Amino acid sequence: MKRMAAVLISMLLGLSLLGCQERGQDETGGGQASRSAPDFEPLNETVDGRRNIYLIVKNLDSSYWQVMIDGAKAGGDAFDCNVYFSGTYVETDWKGQERLLDAAVEAGADAILLAPDDSVLLSEKIDELYQSGGRELAVVLLDTMANTDSYDVCYMTDNLMAGQQAAQEMIAQLKKSGASDSDSLQIGLQLGAASSQTISERLAGFFKYWSKNAPESWEVIPDIKCNDGYLDKAVECAEELLEYPNLRGLFGTNNSSTRGFARVVREQERRDIVVVGFDYSDDIAALIQDDTYRASTILQKQYEMSYAGIEAALKRLDGETAPVKFVDMGVIVVNSDTIGQPEVQEALKHN
Amino acid sequence: MNTRKNINIPKEISKHFSFLKTLILYLVICDLGIGLLLVSFNSLIRKNNQKLMSDVCSLVTEKLESSISHMTGLAENMAAMLSAQAPDDLQALYGQLLQNDGGSEYVSLGLIDEEGRIYATPTEQSEFEKWGLLETARLADPVSVSAPYRSGKTGQPVFTMFVDFTYGEGSRGYLFLTYPLEEIQRMAYTEVLTDDVEIWLMEAASDNIIQCAGPNPYSIGVWDNAKILFGELIHSGYGEDYAAWKDKMDAGEAAAGLTYRLGGESYTQVYSRIDCMHGWYVVVRIPSVSLSTAIQQFRVRVAVFVGFLLIVTVGLFLVSHRREAREKKVLENLSIQDPLTSALNRRAFDFTADQYLGYLGKTLKNEASLLFIDVDNFKHVNDRFGHEAGDRILTGFASALREIFGEEPAGAAPEEGGRGPALRRRGGVRRLCPHVQLRRGGVSEGCGRSEEPGGAGRQRPVPGEGERKKRV
Repeated sequence: MKRMAAVLISMLLGLSLLGCQERGQDETGGGQASRSAPDFEPLNETVDGRRNIYLIVKNLDSSYWQVMIDGAKAGGDAFDCNVYFSGTYVETDWKGQERLLDAAVEAGADAILLAPDDSVLLSEKIDELYQSGGRELAVVLLDTMANTDSYDVCYMTDNLMAGQQAAQEMIAQLKKSGASDSDSLQIGLQLGAASSQTISERLAGFFKYWSKNAPESWEVIPDIKCNDGYLDKAVECAEELLEYPNLRGLFGTNNSSTRGFARVVREQERRDIVVVGFDYSDDIAALIQDDTYRASTILQKQYEMSYAGIEAALKRLDGETAPVKFVDMGVIVVNSDTIGQPEVQEALKHN
Repeated sequence: MNTRKNINIPKEISKHFSFLKTLILYLVICDLGIGLLLVSFNSLIRKNNQKLMSDVCSLVTEKLESSISHMTGLAENMAAMLSAQAPDDLQALYGQLLQNDGGSEYVSLGLIDEEGRIYATPTEQSEFEKWGLLETARLADPVSVSAPYRSGKTGQPVFTMFVDFTYGEGSRGYLFLTYPLEEIQRMAYTEVLTDDVEIWLMEAASDNIIQCAGPNPYSIGVWDNAKILFGELIHSGYGEDYAAWKDKMDAGEAAAGLTYRLGGESYTQVYSRIDCMHGWYVVVRIPSVSLSTAIQQFRVRVAVFVGFLLIVTVGLFLVSHRREAREKKVLENLSIQDPLTSALNRRAFDFTADQYLGYLGKTLKNEASLLFIDVDNFKHVNDRFGHEAGDRILTGFASALREIFGEEPAGAAPEEGGRGPALRRRGGVRRLCPHVQLRRGGVSEGCGRSEEPGGAGRQRPVPGEGERKKRV
């Protein structure tokens, strides 16, 4: 009997040579959401008979998004409509935003202002809501584009251009700090999320300008870090990059990356490092306001985005079509040289 | 110890023939054969796939090149028509062009004069300034194409094509046409491969890459960087191959291919230079699965067929073996038994005696004995009672022996000429004589014993028994 079993096993072994390969399925789904998106809350006084506009942001814990919420509240008050808001806690939780989109429609939204967590993965849902709502629904995108035509207008930074401006600022600041064209220096990069189209465009813009304008001996460290939107991880990434001996510059492609860089550079008192980032946080503000450091940040106009978004949504509901689908809100470069300028001070009021 | 095991003839014959061993050997050989077959099959498929994928990549890039050439050709024709008109007023010409705009694939069109004045909408004019499009226009010889950028009008990524023309007194101007990036996907559309083929535009200097076609239609227009997109490849065992591929691109070579394996999937990746889009290349990547699905199905079917054949072969082996075993048993019986008495014959006796006595000599020393019985005067029986009676006596005698020594008289063999059996069984001798008391006719029995040690061949009378000759 054992022999026969051995024979059968041998046969099975033979058949096993046919080979089958393991295929792993990687379903990242909704990212690493630590907390689920909360229910919508009203931003201003709810009045019957007014239009209901629902704002969905990327990160409720972030000061950047709080400014956008403030802009929407101001827009609601100015243009006489009810504004509700909610959002996710992690900027990769696109599934959470999908649920919020459905909830907004169920609650009777006349318009949705959405800052998409994922330009690609949320596009199908936006298509579905915009094209088969069965009733008029205005969709305005804020901060980030979705890869679909199913929206009325998008107010955002042209991130490809903003990335170029960041590279321009990095080169200028490095030269101001005394770096010469012949120096073999390195700069380190950190992303907030590898899959974010906003960040990818900033990175593309940065590389586009850098490749044409940076001296050949100035190198981008190939090890591009990614913090997935977590500040703790951003700090770890910053610490790792600061160990490179020829490091002279750090570019943070979003708020969390910039905060991580600013915090570690200040903690380690690395005054030899140029920091260029995005958005205005306490960490980068502390670095910019200290003359002994060389830091810059690209300020976006998120307050104006949501304010204009409320106005555009109401116009759309009144039957007016936006003349363009994409409005570049522009950016302001803030550093120790520009921080005193009136335009910058005005922009900082909303940050 | 089982003594019978050492002297059983069928077992001795079959000692050198193990069916199971043969079967296992057969299966091992089959396994190795199938394994080698599949390995060489897979290798051939892989090579074939790589060649096919490379060809398909080249075809897709050629298709894109010819489509871009077609687009630039249309623009050149338009520019030639404008040159033929030799217009003086470009503003009027621009108005005329807008009126004749028949809903073509392009997003917008306009004109640029020699001084760099742009005849376009305010949004388009701001994009010229923002993206430095005038600089690209001046590269037109006769055509140039801009890097992709986001259009304010559509919100989607676009690229602008410039073609020069002459106006007025030989002044050089440019006609521009802005196309959505999706147009490249439309041009690259290949029904069979639409779900698998990935197409990017890549700038060699910056490593920037923008998707033009891929499995997810929503990913068109997504920017990335080759250092990140191909990061896994760069850090894999194919990193050097990728570096060599990229070096060719950096050196401005017109085209190059690369094959690699990532995550259990094989890929072929080809780039082709876009001459009118300075510093940019079309990159096409195709996974092997897109081509080998049918071949994989064929491979599975072959494998199932081979497995089925193997099982059938083993089944036939088993049936054949059982049949052969039965036939062998019959032949063995015929070769070692006396057909009349069914006692073992002289050949079997010689073999058994040799085996058994050899065994006794090595192990039992003093305790063995050999008894031989000679049935004498048998001729009288035959003469007096006939051969039939003689046969009955021999049959009866063999039966009596079997009764005494058991049903299998393996060690009893009649002497040549049918005279009588020799016996082997310890203790059997003492039981023999009391039973051999038949007296019929004139048959007598001679009985002798040979004891060990003393040599298996040495014979001497059994004390008290050896001299007895009984009348039967």
